[in-house]
Amino acid sequence: MKASILDGIVLGLQFGLLGVGMTLVYGLGGVLNLAYGQIAVLAAMVVAITLTAGAPTLVAAGAGLLAGAATSVVLDRTLMRPVYRQRGERRVLLGLLLTLGVAFVIDGLLTWRYPTGTLRLGIGGEPVPVLGIGMRVGSLWATGVSLAVAALLLLFRATTPGRAAHAVIQDEVGARLVGINPAAVRTLIFAASGTLAALVAETRSMTSPVTVTAGFDFTILALIVAVVGGLGNVAGAFLAGVLLGIVSTLSAFYIGQYITTIVLLAAAALTILLRPRGLLGRSP
Amino acid sequence: MLEVSGLAAGYLGENVVEGVDVEVGAGQAVAIIGSNGAGKSTLFRAVCGLLPVAAGRVRFDGADITRRPTHHIARAGLAYVPAERHLFPGMSVRENLMLGAYPGRPDPSAERLVFDLFPRLNQRRGQPAGSLSGGEQQMLAVGRALMSRPRLLMLDEPTTGLAPKLAQSAYAALRVLKERGVTLLVAEQQVPLALSLADRGYVLENGRIRLQGASQDLARNSEVRRAYLGVA
Repeated sequence: MKASILDGIVLGLQFGLLGVGMTLVYGLGGVLNLAYGQIAVLAAMVVAITLTAGAPTLVAAGAGLLAGAATSVVLDRTLMRPVYRQRGERRVLLGLLLTLGVAFVIDGLLTWRYPTGTLRLGIGGEPVPVLGIGMRVGSLWATGVSLAVAALLLLFRATTPGRAAHAVIQDEVGARLVGINPAAVRTLIFAASGTLAALVAETRSMTSPVTVTAGFDFTILALIVAVVGGLGNVAGAFLAGVLLGIVSTLSAFYIGQYITTIVLLAAAALTILLRPRGLLGRSP
Repeated sequence: MLEVSGLAAGYLGENVVEGVDVEVGAGQAVAIIGSNGAGKSTLFRAVCGLLPVAAGRVRFDGADITRRPTHHIARAGLAYVPAERHLFPGMSVRENLMLGAYPGRPDPSAERLVFDLFPRLNQRRGQPAGSLSGGEQQMLAVGRALMSRPRLLMLDEPTTGLAPKLAQSAYAALRVLKERGVTLLVAEQQVPLALSLADRGYVLENGRIRLQGASQDLARNSEVRRAYLGVA
């Protein structure tokens, strides 16, 4: 039980960051990026290839983050353009269809080129005791990196670009009236989102292999976390991620691994029914 | 300072305003008066780039700003306070004001001016903007615009949703701004209030300028008195 909860927190921090990357883009662009998981996997494959080429782990990890950010920015600057010209429901719908198309393209290309592609950031060593439980070194690394990035996100919120991004999420017209360029902020947020996707793929691979076919799993997970946290709510997504991580390891421990996705989807469905604006959402 | 000539703009290809000429000189206060639906908001939105300009030109400080993106126009020193205010509801009063100075840091003298004008905002610094009363939100909207030290402040119906007493004090604040040399362009339905502040005025009807002149002349004009001042 205690071990499951600890494992759940380790997993949950990563879920949280994954959800934040999804929810940021929704809050800013009104777009659910269904290619999000494929961006994560693409980054993971870049890391795997750079490692195979003999690069040191840190360099490979950096290349992965760059690949994630770059793919995301290219998506924002090219294919998403017509989406931003639409408003309301049409924007959401066009965004969904377009990013789904991108997801299939990236997925297809990757599985075609690297059918057995797998990333394992093997971090060895004896398990380290934490609260009386032996934790794998990979888990500790994943947790450390996730916490550091969460802290960075918190710091970013207090910077001028961070405040500008928050302003665009809250009221785009208001943001333009104070001199903020929403397109520039959106590109910045897409870069952050792609980096987060890549980062989570990398931290996941410290404890379990990330395969070339994991794209849609990442996307669905990110969607669930973002919905439970309240779409567009960054703090909510992070909190939802941690909670869902714990729920997921507990249900895997007591019921079985096969049930976890169903439990997570049920959590999302319940949230929509009981708290349509998410965990931290206030009523309108 | 602001020169609008032959401006046409509207929605879905249909012009709401057409052939509008408006001029605002440095240090002046100018009012655009007209009833609901006359096109005042459309005109303002087109001037600051929130709405596409179908025809005509907008010059600000000698530079052509027609069809420039809104954030460029804002940074050039034209601040617009829309009737819907468009505050950042989840952020504190202080953060809203800080963003008013974007991309720079808040200027202490601008902040002092805002808090002198609206001491209430100082008391509510830490409160989320969404939790303020209507009057306080209007103060914050004006305060946020002032934080950029604008050369022209455009206000669309600053008295929307305010009780008569609050509307009076909103105009008292605008009068202070005018004395401090801020150039003002105000769209208003409450004609007596608007004309008491403005040096000059334009009457907008069905998207066109019907009348224009010095405020005293407009206040004496029989058409204006009949249509807007409730005098038979």
